[in-house]
Amino acid sequence: MLFGKECRKIIRSLTYIIYCFIVVLFFITQYFSDCNEREYPPVKNGDYGYKISEDHDLIMGSAVNSLISDYLGNSYVCYPLGFYKMVHLKKSDRTTLEGYIKEITGLDKDGLEDVKNNSQKYYLSSGLSENVEYDVPEIPVATTMTYDRFTEIMGDIDDILGGGSEYAVDRLVHNFSQVPMTYEDAQAEYEELFEKDRISGSYARLFCDYIGIVIGIMPVFVAVALVSADRRRKVSELVYTRKISSFRLVFTRYAALVTTMFIPVLLSMTAAALQLMKNYSGENYNLSGMFTLPVFWLLPELMIVTAAGMLITEMFSGGTAIIVQFAWWFYDVLSSGMVLEGRIGKFTLVCRHNTLYQRTSFLLSRDNFVFNRLFYLAAAIVAAVLTVLVYELKRGGKFNAIRLFGQGGLLRRKA
Amino acid sequence: MEKKIEIKKVNKFYGRKQALFDINLTIGQGMFGLLGRNGAGKTTLMKTLAALHTKKSGEITVCGVPIEKAREIRAMTGYLPQEFSMYPSMKTDEALDYLGALSGIPKSERAKKVTSLLRRVNLIEHRHKKVKELSGGMKRRLGIAQALIHDPQVLIVDEPTAGLDPEERIRFRNLLCEVAEERIVILSTHIVGDIEATCEQIAIMDEGRVLWRGTVTQLLENSRGHIYTANVEKRFMPQIKKEYIVTGMLAQNDYTTVRIVSDSEPDLPNAVLAEPDLEAAYMYCLHSSGCDVRGGEE
Repeated sequence: MLFGKECRKIIRSLTYIIYCFIVVLFFITQYFSDCNEREYPPVKNGDYGYKISEDHDLIMGSAVNSLISDYLGNSYVCYPLGFYKMVHLKKSDRTTLEGYIKEITGLDKDGLEDVKNNSQKYYLSSGLSENVEYDVPEIPVATTMTYDRFTEIMGDIDDILGGGSEYAVDRLVHNFSQVPMTYEDAQAEYEELFEKDRISGSYARLFCDYIGIVIGIMPVFVAVALVSADRRRKVSELVYTRKISSFRLVFTRYAALVTTMFIPVLLSMTAAALQLMKNYSGENYNLSGMFTLPVFWLLPELMIVTAAGMLITEMFSGGTAIIVQFAWWFYDVLSSGMVLEGRIGKFTLVCRHNTLYQRTSFLLSRDNFVFNRLFYLAAAIVAAVLTVLVYELKRGGKFNAIRLFGQGGLLRRKA
Repeated sequence: MEKKIEIKKVNKFYGRKQALFDINLTIGQGMFGLLGRNGAGKTTLMKTLAALHTKKSGEITVCGVPIEKAREIRAMTGYLPQEFSMYPSMKTDEALDYLGALSGIPKSERAKKVTSLLRRVNLIEHRHKKVKELSGGMKRRLGIAQALIHDPQVLIVDEPTAGLDPEERIRFRNLLCEVAEERIVILSTHIVGDIEATCEQIAIMDEGRVLWRGTVTQLLENSRGHIYTANVEKRFMPQIKKEYIVTGMLAQNDYTTVRIVSDSEPDLPNAVLAEPDLEAAYMYCLHSSGCDVRGGEE
C-alpha cells in the first residue's frame, strides 16, 4: 500500500526523528514534570489568584478608568504583532478619544482636567523612557451606556492605537473583569476539576496548551523535508511520469505525514493518561477525555501546519515554508501578550490555556474554539487541494516553483 | 492500435527562447536514435514526449493518444531521465516496488514483476543493496527496470550510457535492444557508438531543429565521397585541424593518419577517399547543414 510506503519513508528520515524527540522532550519537561502530583483542596487564608467575573459593569468601569489614566499620561501599552510598544497619540487622535470618554462617562475636556488635578501623579520607568501615570479615582459610567456600544467604542480606540492594545474587544473580559478569588471560589474551582471536568478535562486542556506550541511549528520541518525530498534526490521526474494521479499522490503523502506526526502526540497523550490514572487512583475520572479533546484541539493544528508547509514548498523552492510558518507561529504566540488562559480567538493557531483551572475562562471562548478548529480543519483540506493543483501544474511543465532564495532567487541581492 | 509516435510541426519555448522549431517525426516500433550535440534539444523533445513539458504548438500522438491526455500517456510510457537517481536509503527491490506502486500496479503483481525485472537487468543478487551502494552501471540498469515496471508501449531513455565503462555500456545497449523487440524505444544520445550499435532509424538534431532523419545506412550513403584519409606530417596538424573537419587521428612515427570530412578532395598529399563510418557521416551531416564542427585551434 502506497500509504504504508510513504509512512516508512517519513519514519526513516532524520527530520522526523528530531521532530519526535522535540515533541516528547517538550511533553516531558513541560507537562509531565508539572503534573507529577495530584491537586489538593485549597487551604484557608491562602492566595487564590484571580478569576474572571464577566460582569459588564465591572468591565466598563475598569476599562474606562484605565483609559482615562492612559489618556492623562498620553501613553498606552500595546502589543502590535506581539511586540511591546508604547504608543503616544497625536492631538487629533486625543480629541477623538476625548469624544469617546465623554460618551462613556459624560466628562468633557474640563472634567478630565479636574480628574487630572485630583489624581495622584507618579512616574513609571520603562527601559530608557519614563512615563507619567495617574492614579485616577473611580469614574462612573453613564447610565445610558450599553455594553454593545461600549465594545464598539473600545474597538475604535484599539484601531486608533494601532491594534494590540488592552482595549481590544477580544481582551476586554480578560483584562477588566478579573476579581480576586475567595476561598469559596477556589474551593468551587477545585470541585469543578472533579465534578465538571472529571479531572481529565483540565489535564487535557493543559496538555493541549503545551503540545500545541510545538505542533504550531515543528510539523513544517517534516512536511518540507518530505515534499522537497523528490527534488533534492532528483526523483521528481521519475515520480511525475508515473500513472498515479496528483490527487492520490499528494493526499496519500499528506495523510502519511499527519498520521506519522500524530504518533508521538498520541504516545504523549497515553503517557499523560497513565500518569493521571496513577495520581488520581480511586477518583471518578473520565479517561476518554484525555484523548478526545487533544484530538479535536491538536489534529486541526497539525493538519493546517502540514498542509501549508506542503503548499508553500510546492509553490516556492527551498525552505520558504519554514520561514513563513515560523513568522506565523511567532506572531501567533507573541500576540497573546501575557494572556495564557482562555486565549482563543477565531483564528488563533496556537490556542492557550496554561492552567488546570479557570474552566469558566475557557468556556467563554468555547464558540471561538469550535469555530477555530473547524476552520483550520477546512483550511487544511483546502490547502491540500491547492497543493494537488500546483503539483499537477508542475508535473505537466506548466509551472515551475518560484525561487526566492539562492542562485537566481527573486530575493537574492545582486552584487 | 498502431505502435507509433507522430510528431507534427512541434514548437516549444522556454520563456522567449525557442527550444524546438517545427519538429516533424514519425517513430515506429523498435529502436529509434536521437543524435545530437549537447544542447541540441534532444532532452527537451524527450521530456515533451514524456508529458513533462508542454509544447507551444503542433501535434503529438503516442499510439494514437494525444499528448495532452497526460494520464494516458504516463500509463503507456516508461521514462529514464538523463540523471537517474533514486532515494539513496531505499533498497533496490524496495525502490522498484515503490515506483511500481506509483504506477498503479497491484501489490499481488508487483512482487513478481520486481523479481523478474531485477533478474532481467542482472540485479537480482543486489536486490537487498541500498541504491546508494550500487555502481553507476547498476543504477542505470535499475533505471531501465523502473521504466519497464508497468510494461509500457513506449520507452524513452535520455543519454543512458554517459559515464559508463565500455563493458557496462555494451551490456546496457544489449538490454535496450532486447526490450525494443516489443515496444517503441527512443534513445537520445550524443555518443555515435550507441546509435551505431543499436538503432536502425535515427534523427539528428541541432539547435532545436531536426537536421536529418532516415536509416543509418542512408546516413552513411549520404556522406559517401566526402570522407578521406591522408598521411600527414605531425607539424601540419594544427593547420589541418583549422581547415578541415578531422574525425580521427592515428599517430605513427613521424606521420599521422588523419580522417577528414570534406566537401571536395582535400589539398593534401596521399589523400584518398575512405569508406564512411557513422561518426564521420554524422559530422558530415552537421557540416552540410551549416553547423560549425571544426575543432582547430585559432
